[in-house]
Amino acid sequence: MKESLMDILCDPLDKSDLELQVTERDGDEILSGTLVGTVTGEEYPIEDGIPNLLPPDMRDDE
Amino acid sequence: MTDDLAERRGMETNVYQPAEDSALLAEAVVDHARGRFLEVGTGSGWVAERAARDAEVTRVVASDVNPHACESARERGAALRAEGHLGIEAVRANLVDPFRDGAFDTVAFNPPYLPTDPDNEWDDWMESALSGGESGRKFLNPFVDDVGRVLADGGRVLLLVSSLTGFEEVVARVEARGFDHETVVQESYPFETLSVLRLTRGSASKSAAEE
Repeated sequence: MKESLMDILCDPLDKSDLELQVTERDGDEILSGTLVGTVTGEEYPIEDGIPNLLPPDMRDDE
Repeated sequence: MTDDLAERRGMETNVYQPAEDSALLAEAVVDHARGRFLEVGTGSGWVAERAARDAEVTRVVASDVNPHACESARERGAALRAEGHLGIEAVRANLVDPFRDGAFDTVAFNPPYLPTDPDNEWDDWMESALSGGESGRKFLNPFVDDVGRVLADGGRVLLLVSSLTGFEEVVARVEARGFDHETVVQESYPFETLSVLRLTRGSASKSAAEE
């Protein structure tokens, strides 16, 4: 995902802001990292460039 | 080679591939999508690609609950960008849950809509791409309830509706949520009629005030 995607994303649980923590970057593309709910504290993974913003109760069915 | 084939077979069995409904939604998207565009339930990303290539959009975001669909959409986006088009930004999401208020000028959705007997569900990614629960409106209803939140002023929704899902029931839901609606394309097939409804806000609230 591009960092500019942060402009349109929010925490799916309460629509509050997310904080971006980058683990791996390739130019302006964030390949892995975590999005953290600033209010809920919920952690949403970014894997292979795709943020997974499913709510926690929908996340386990890979 | 075998891995490639296995992977392609995996995509075919795990991700909904474009069909008549996709083609009809794409037609509406090319004519009516503007500005910041989101496709919900993008599947293979085929409609999102048509938006990136042929519609007057400034950004293309594609979401799906299915991780294989998200991968497919992201790969399409990378190929598009390499050709000099807008890319596709993939987000794994349930409906419009993780998007900010007013984030989009256009939202398109071809919901899983086949009415399905609960005893007869087959519980894999393809099932979740097709089945709309008993009514056929399991995903359509919550989408219609929440999509207004993520629309910017003057924004529009392009919603594919099958006659199997119950056109009148969908229209009633849409009206209850304060949208104006207009059928922008329609096609009949032996077992269903497919329509794309364009939903807008504006004169709806005005006429509600006048009543």
